Amino acid sequence: MQAPIKWLKEYVEFSQTPEVLAEMLTMAGIPVEGISYLGKDIEKIVTGRIIEVEKHPNATKLSICKLDVGTEVLVIVTGANNIAVGNIVPVALVGAKLPSGLEIKASELRGVMSYGMLCSTAELNIDSKLLSAKEKEGIYILSEDTAVGIDIKEALGMDDVVLEFELTANRADCFSVIGLAREVAVLTGGSLKKPMIHLHETAGEKSASLVKVAIEEPSLCSRFAARMLQNVKVGPSPKWLKHRLQAVGMRSINNIVDVTNYVMLEMGQPMHAYDYNLVSKHSLTVRKAQSGEKITTLDGIKRELTSDMLVIADQVQAVGIAGVMGGLATEVTNNTQNVILEAASFNGVSIRRTSKALGLRSEASGRFERGVDTVNSIRALDRAAKLLEDMGACKVCPGIVDSYPTMVLPRQVSFIPQKVNAYLGTDISKGEMLNILRSLEFAIDTHSEGDKITVNVPTWRNDVQYQPDICEEIARIYGYNKIPITTPDGNILRGGQEYAQSIVDVIKTILTGAGLDEIISLSFTHPQVLEKLNIADDHVLHRAIRVLNPITDDFPILRTTLLGGVLETIVRNLSRKNDDIKIYELGAVYLPEELPLHSLPKEPLMLCGALVGKRSELSWSQGKENVDFYDAKGIVEVLLAGLGITDYHVTTGEHMSLHPGKTAVFARNGKILATVGELHPKVADEFDIHRKVYIFEVDIEAIVDCVNLLAKYEPLPKFPAIQRDVAVVLPLTISADQVREAIIASGGPLLCDVRLFDVYVGEQVTDGSKSLAFSLIYRDKMRTLTDEEIDVYYKKTIDHIESSLTAKIRS
Amino acid sequence: MEQELQSLKQLALLELSQADTMDALNELRVKYLGKKGSLTSALKGMGALSAEERPKIGQIVNDIRSELENIIQTKSEGFKQADLEKKLASEKIDVTLPGRKVNVGHQHPLTVTLLRIKEIFMRMGFAIAEGPEVEQDYYNFEALNLPKDHPARDMQDSFYITEEFLMRTHTSPVQVRTMQAAVPNQPIRIIAPGKVYRRDYDATHSPMFHQVEGLVIDKNISFADLKGTLELFIHEIFGKDVGVRFRPSFFPFTEPSAEVDISCVMCSGGGCRVCSGTGWLEILGAGMVHPRVLEMSKFDPEKVSGFAFGMGVERIAMLLYGIDDLRLFYENDLRFLKQF
Repeated sequence: MQAPIKWLKEYVEFSQTPEVLAEMLTMAGIPVEGISYLGKDIEKIVTGRIIEVEKHPNATKLSICKLDVGTEVLVIVTGANNIAVGNIVPVALVGAKLPSGLEIKASELRGVMSYGMLCSTAELNIDSKLLSAKEKEGIYILSEDTAVGIDIKEALGMDDVVLEFELTANRADCFSVIGLAREVAVLTGGSLKKPMIHLHETAGEKSASLVKVAIEEPSLCSRFAARMLQNVKVGPSPKWLKHRLQAVGMRSINNIVDVTNYVMLEMGQPMHAYDYNLVSKHSLTVRKAQSGEKITTLDGIKRELTSDMLVIADQVQAVGIAGVMGGLATEVTNNTQNVILEAASFNGVSIRRTSKALGLRSEASGRFERGVDTVNSIRALDRAAKLLEDMGACKVCPGIVDSYPTMVLPRQVSFIPQKVNAYLGTDISKGEMLNILRSLEFAIDTHSEGDKITVNVPTWRNDVQYQPDICEEIARIYGYNKIPITTPDGNILRGGQEYAQSIVDVIKTILTGAGLDEIISLSFTHPQVLEKLNIADDHVLHRAIRVLNPITDDFPILRTTLLGGVLETIVRNLSRKNDDIKIYELGAVYLPEELPLHSLPKEPLMLCGALVGKRSELSWSQGKENVDFYDAKGIVEVLLAGLGITDYHVTTGEHMSLHPGKTAVFARNGKILATVGELHPKVADEFDIHRKVYIFEVDIEAIVDCVNLLAKYEPLPKFPAIQRDVAVVLPLTISADQVREAIIASGGPLLCDVRLFDVYVGEQVTDGSKSLAFSLIYRDKMRTLTDEEIDVYYKKTIDHIESSLTAKIRS
Repeated sequence: MEQELQSLKQLALLELSQADTMDALNELRVKYLGKKGSLTSALKGMGALSAEERPKIGQIVNDIRSELENIIQTKSEGFKQADLEKKLASEKIDVTLPGRKVNVGHQHPLTVTLLRIKEIFMRMGFAIAEGPEVEQDYYNFEALNLPKDHPARDMQDSFYITEEFLMRTHTSPVQVRTMQAAVPNQPIRIIAPGKVYRRDYDATHSPMFHQVEGLVIDKNISFADLKGTLELFIHEIFGKDVGVRFRPSFFPFTEPSAEVDISCVMCSGGGCRVCSGTGWLEILGAGMVHPRVLEMSKFDPEKVSGFAFGMGVERIAMLLYGIDDLRLFYENDLRFLKQF
């Protein structure tokens, strides 16, 4: 919604600058989003009458004009060919500045001095959508009644400032200049002067005897009123009307249509004008469209309607889509002699649905969606008739025809001032509250009893229904910023996070310490990503929730795994030469019970991390090795240790997206906590990643169940330990874990720790073999051990390893 | 004898003065003061002296010894000091070489921002509530006083999954879920952080973003309490000097409703590109919980009242860190992430 300051001033006097007024309105809940000074870049351009045009003696395409610009006669050389003697045109004087930045100087053109420039609409920076085709071409020929020698901004109504509002959905009443003027009046202490309407109604016949109106759907149309205009002279609008519309970005069409638009903008009541002679049987009925019924709307588009859409129809066909757009068949044209003016009130929900279904939004539909004041319809009809009557554009027929099945009465709302103050935390007097409400035209019911005050809410304020609405009216006029600042008293509540929420924070802290950067990627993805991840069609992760109305074709489904987003992040970073990557994402995946969705999906939290490139940041002092499987595994180990989870087992595992020989799972009591592995080369290929990627995935919900952040303290040993190192050579097929298990199994009661400290494959051992070196730590909590007793245990272990694992002790 | 001693002393002094290494010094110490040293021998020869001479010569010997010892001590310390200095000088390193890198990761700026927000509210006794991201129309709209076909639904263009299910467009459904899980009319004080989704994708809109919802319900909660709580929060997160203003606004689930602006953190209120020249930045939506919303969740608006608020985490992070492009949050460029 836009409102020019001059227009507002027709209804309320105020002296505030546009900026101050905008601030006042904004702070009262009528947000002004912009202030535009029309013609702000136009300087020293005036209107001038052409008194002579002659060909330039030295140039065939140029003419020499003499212009009367009020104070003097100027000679200007122009290339224009649409001008004639008598035309009034915009003249940029010497020293003028055009919106384009061009400065006008006196200059010689092929031997003739020129003292200025004639301007086109483009040079005046007039929005081309406000102009007719003719106005867009050549020099802008102004209307004949334009005064000569005045500032062009005055001549075009551009000496105005327009406030641009970003209104909230509840304030339907402010979609009108009068509605806004009411707010201005309340805030500036002025009084609202609504236009006086005295019709002469000089036509002979009554509206009622010429037009019939009927409502078939009273639930969708609460009022349908019309007025007849005869002897209509369709033509251009007077300048003031044209300029008003142009100031708010609306194109002038003709006097009839312009007046309906003007009244809509002024009073908030959308209106429509029909060519009476083209309305079959001169009757208008509000009915539902037949399924498949067609209508060509004013924009020239043929539209097919459905049976839940409301139309205005004559006896033969639909002549308008109710509240959205009129039909072309009964359009007012230059040949129109008689006009039916319509002002109606349609159900907002119905209009909204129709307008959405047709993809057709109009000034009218926007207003009906929010709700128009049904009581106001007749005033709007009268106002439009009066304007046209005053312009001499028609004769107005006496009376109206009005189908108004149920009279709308002002809603009554009660409030208790004390409660309003308690709700707001204020101490506003009852008198002040009543003053505020009266200024907004709420009528105080004289029957109010005791503390309780009842008000009649103005019919244009459909948003005021409850006591809190009254509170808001009082508060916004009183001023939100005058309301005191307090904090809630009352019960002390236990704040803080749930256990699982805290664990997530702990996990992120551990991973930060482990050198990983956190990423957040979109929850949306594409089915192709699942394919690229090698997820089988029948796998549960392939069953993704599909969005009905995705924003682009790039992501129509919800992710079932974090891996896709993590890999895409790697791709993006590699392409930007961020070669060494250690990242993780912790977030939900969306797993439906069934599709289509009948219940909320599961949204388990998952953690997915990836390592690529150098182990340490490139530096003079550190190694340049690349990360490998064991870096990823180490991170999971650190994470689990940090969460106090120790009783898990690591075994060779499987994962669709990971290298089958380089995948491990961490499990506890048969439940998988985490998976670690190298990205499957096939998957890496699909994502066009030509680097080794190491992945870990952790099921956060499984983890949370076994976190132990309060491990019991272990006393420090009082007696020294004895250490024995052993290197065993054994086939590559035997895992380190098997050896470890064998050592533990045979180590005896004093063995308290086994540490693998070296792994060797190479020349020193035979092909197909490896050497593993372990430290065995023996300790007794109660005494110092002797070498002799440990020798016995150690020997047993050696024998056991050799015999059970076909291993050889390396010396 | 006395003369002998004096010439011994002179010789020792001469030799000591010429000693220029620790080793030479030690040799001289042995030569003169050692068990078989000259001075020691001289002392041994005292037996041949008369009883009168003995103490006198003894005194002389002792004087010479302590003089020589002093000199040796001083010279020895000098040598040690010189050695140390030499050693230290030889150990000098280039301290301008960069320190050895400790590989520490970085949390996402949205996580960091969210942690700050949570921490502030937790200190005020707020609990952290959560709810599903795929939500039912009922919780996302209906129970928040946004019936079907309400024009305000346009404010939040939704991603639908079916007629009934959609991606939540705000964290407000957690309000409803919290109220419905609570004992009616009992106090509530929660914030609900999380991801939300709207059909908007351009330079200033992401189809996914993060919100923090807040809800306070108790007896006698007033609009002034809402102002106080939010102002406290804003001063905690943006600093005490930041200006705060409350503007009337409209949300279907609150009445009265407010937009909360802070004075522009970029230009301190003077007007700049970030605040579109207004000097103010919209930071929060808030209001008193609408009686219909309370009623729908079995709370009695006659007995309790409450306020609710919602804020965008991205917006706050952008202002805190001076980030000028929303898309950076989801591109996850390491050069960006490593700055937090």
